[in-house]
Amino acid sequence: MLGTIVRKEISDNLLSYKFFIVILLSAVLIFTSLFVMARDYKGRVADYQVIKPKPGAPIGVLPPNPLSVFAKGLEDSITRSYELDFIGVQTRTGRSTANNVFAFFPAPDFLYIVKVVLSLVALLFGFDRISREREAGTLKLTLANSVSRGTLLFGKWLGNLISLAVPFFLITGIGLAVLHLDPAFHMTGAGFGRLAVILLLSLAYLALFLSLGLFISAVTRRSATSLVVLLLIWSLMVFVLPNTGTLIARQIVRVPSSRALMEKRNQIWTREILMTYSDRGNRGAHLDAMNTEIDQIEQDFRRKTDRLVRLSKTLNRISPAAGFVYTATEIAGTGIGEDSRLKNEIVRYKNRVFETGTLENGKAPAFDYAYRSIGTIMAEGGFFDVAWLLAFNVIFFAAGYAAVIRYDVR
Amino acid sequence: MGKTLILKEIHNHLVSFRFLAVFALLLVIVPVTVLILTNDTIRKQDEYSQRQTDIQNYLAKYAHFNRLYAVLAPSQPPLPLQALVLGLTAVPRLDTFDNDPLPVLFPMIDLTFILAILMSLAALIFSYDAVSGEKEDGTLKLMLANGVPRAKIILAKVVGGTMILWIPFVISLALSMILLLVHPRIAWSASDWGAVGMILIGAFIYIALFFGLGVLVSSRHASSASSILTSLFLWVLFILVVPNLSPYVASLIRPSPSIVEVNRQIDKIEDADRDDMGRKLEKEMREKLAKEFPVLAGVERMNEATIKAEIDRNPGFAKAYAVFRKGREEAWHQANVIQYAKSKVLRDDLNAKDKAQTKLSVALSMISPLASLTYLCADLTSSGSRNLVHFDTIRGPWDNAYDNYMRRKMEDMRKANPTVDIWNTAADVSDMPRFVYKEESLAGRIAAILWPLVVLIVMTFGLFVAAVLSFNRTDVR
Repeated sequence: MLGTIVRKEISDNLLSYKFFIVILLSAVLIFTSLFVMARDYKGRVADYQVIKPKPGAPIGVLPPNPLSVFAKGLEDSITRSYELDFIGVQTRTGRSTANNVFAFFPAPDFLYIVKVVLSLVALLFGFDRISREREAGTLKLTLANSVSRGTLLFGKWLGNLISLAVPFFLITGIGLAVLHLDPAFHMTGAGFGRLAVILLLSLAYLALFLSLGLFISAVTRRSATSLVVLLLIWSLMVFVLPNTGTLIARQIVRVPSSRALMEKRNQIWTREILMTYSDRGNRGAHLDAMNTEIDQIEQDFRRKTDRLVRLSKTLNRISPAAGFVYTATEIAGTGIGEDSRLKNEIVRYKNRVFETGTLENGKAPAFDYAYRSIGTIMAEGGFFDVAWLLAFNVIFFAAGYAAVIRYDVR
Repeated sequence: MGKTLILKEIHNHLVSFRFLAVFALLLVIVPVTVLILTNDTIRKQDEYSQRQTDIQNYLAKYAHFNRLYAVLAPSQPPLPLQALVLGLTAVPRLDTFDNDPLPVLFPMIDLTFILAILMSLAALIFSYDAVSGEKEDGTLKLMLANGVPRAKIILAKVVGGTMILWIPFVISLALSMILLLVHPRIAWSASDWGAVGMILIGAFIYIALFFGLGVLVSSRHASSASSILTSLFLWVLFILVVPNLSPYVASLIRPSPSIVEVNRQIDKIEDADRDDMGRKLEKEMREKLAKEFPVLAGVERMNEATIKAEIDRNPGFAKAYAVFRKGREEAWHQANVIQYAKSKVLRDDLNAKDKAQTKLSVALSMISPLASLTYLCADLTSSGSRNLVHFDTIRGPWDNAYDNYMRRKMEDMRKANPTVDIWNTAADVSDMPRFVYKEESLAGRIAAILWPLVVLIVMTFGLFVAAVLSFNRTDVR
């Protein structure tokens, strides 16, 4: 019986106007996104060839990450050029542009499309599954057969998930294949492995919205009402909650602005330099004092930022979209955790260069950085986010089940 | 009759579930956002004052002209309207090593966001069944049996629907304002209120635009189930896709060279190539002088001590060497001028291309009403691109004043002590000109938003006409 329900759901979808319009939209968006983001990536690779440090130069720059095509995240920050000089680390942005329109609107990467557009698509697959069938009168006919309501719900869930997942994987697969034909775009096997994990996470994220759709569909009498409710919940989950968490966290943890930090650093620097002129014998001591003080205020800033990030991450987890974005960007190597770890590594690199006295003699050690493995990412909070995502799935499905067994099908 | 129709629309929406849901949502989100952002702004203002004090304290003790400018570099003070619209002020900085990564993953929510995303979605949720729903219910033909022109029905639907969405928004904003006004630290000027008024006008047009779109789609569909799908499809395109893609598409059509690459070329032109050119010109000059002053033969291989000794010994050489030194300075100056002219071509080309690309990006993004509204809100509250230009225009005169001051001060220092290291000696700069930021006048800001406003009005009107034309052909049975 389950098979019959699944087949019915799939053929229902295949014949509908909704399926056509939704798949068209997804295909256009995913292809366009991959195209523009790959072009952006190639531009950054070309830039990297220019800024790549020469051996012995005290500079740390990571090459652009091919997975940033799918999840841009903090890539622009991570692949900056970190240049050491006697006052510490100076950053130079790679691909900065004078075009402000980029700053107004977020990058339309694959992750953005899944997070915003495909979650809406998943809701559209689920929103009328129960209520519309009741309106059409087919719900009672289905239930007149010897089929349990649980099986009916699961069949609907599975059927719609398949209708959603197959085109999703197909479109992404085609996009990837085209991307792979481009010789300028090179992704390793490990990169594909990470991408596969991101795709599975995306599916879990979309399944959650499908379950939510089924649930709301089973607590409303009319499909129009169910859609209105779902759109409101969706806009809250995807747009409002992940941002409010950050706003609230900011009220609790006070972090100075980076401008204030920069000014402070400039003041310390110029003060100590002035003092070296009136106290020429002690130049080394003044430089040390300057570095210690700058290190202190920077460490203090990073500690506060870490607290802010932790708190807002926790608050933002009310919305599954936040957990999904955090984990997917971490796996892609463009997440907050990676950025923070890289900064720590840069500081360690700076200390090493300062200690070995290789800052100005052209013999600085090369900066080495390896992205964290998936295992480490999972251990450092990834598991929690994945479990949280699955928990949302289970909760919404269970709520849907509770609603369906109490549903008046007449 | 028009009034009856509008009242009917308002009444219809008022008793609906969706109205209740949207109103409740707005009543929570708008005040919470405004209050949190106000708190943020006050904190930013406190921090700004603290920073200015720190700079003053620094100047009193450690001011010296080497890198003084870096300490003084003017910065934008936080403005009161950032409690409503964040605009570009929320864009994370990449030029500092330590920065806050959160806004990159989840941009902060402000009034523009609520209006642009939530209100447009609400407008479509309110309007997707405006025609098709009434047709399904059978009330459409009854209404038309009363001899009402079809255009009037559409007008009533758009006006009534827009009012019913706009008024809750205004109420929730007013509620936030009441909370704000009792706050002792908030003082808004008349031009701030004027800017908020203009934002509300923009909001009305924006909501009307999406209502018009919803009604148009609704009149093209036989069932409201398919009408909501098409509406959502268009919403996704206009709100989530067009603005985000526009700068990328613009960079495809009007590419601008990579800043990294251009900087590398400029570095080469002004450094290694400049040295080559300088050496070449110096050599030419030397060869020319060698004919005139044979005594200069081999001067390029002489070290400083030999030259000095030769000058003391031989007055002929001294005279020739003076000409030679002047010629050498002239040759290197020439080299700098020539190379700078070459690099200027690259810089100008980059600027021109960047400008063209930005202009195209803005134009393309304005296909989406969201972008027009975003620019409108940002420019009215001095948090957009316009303010960046404005900031530079007031910074320019200050830069000049600072340069003049520095030169004068250095002159004074030199007079007092001819051997002083003017760059690295503590200086008294208490009489230095201070940078004062002054927000652009409201009239200037309104002039800046005319384009987005006109685009919004034209689009709204166009959609309204399209909705009327489409409804005229609708079979209402």
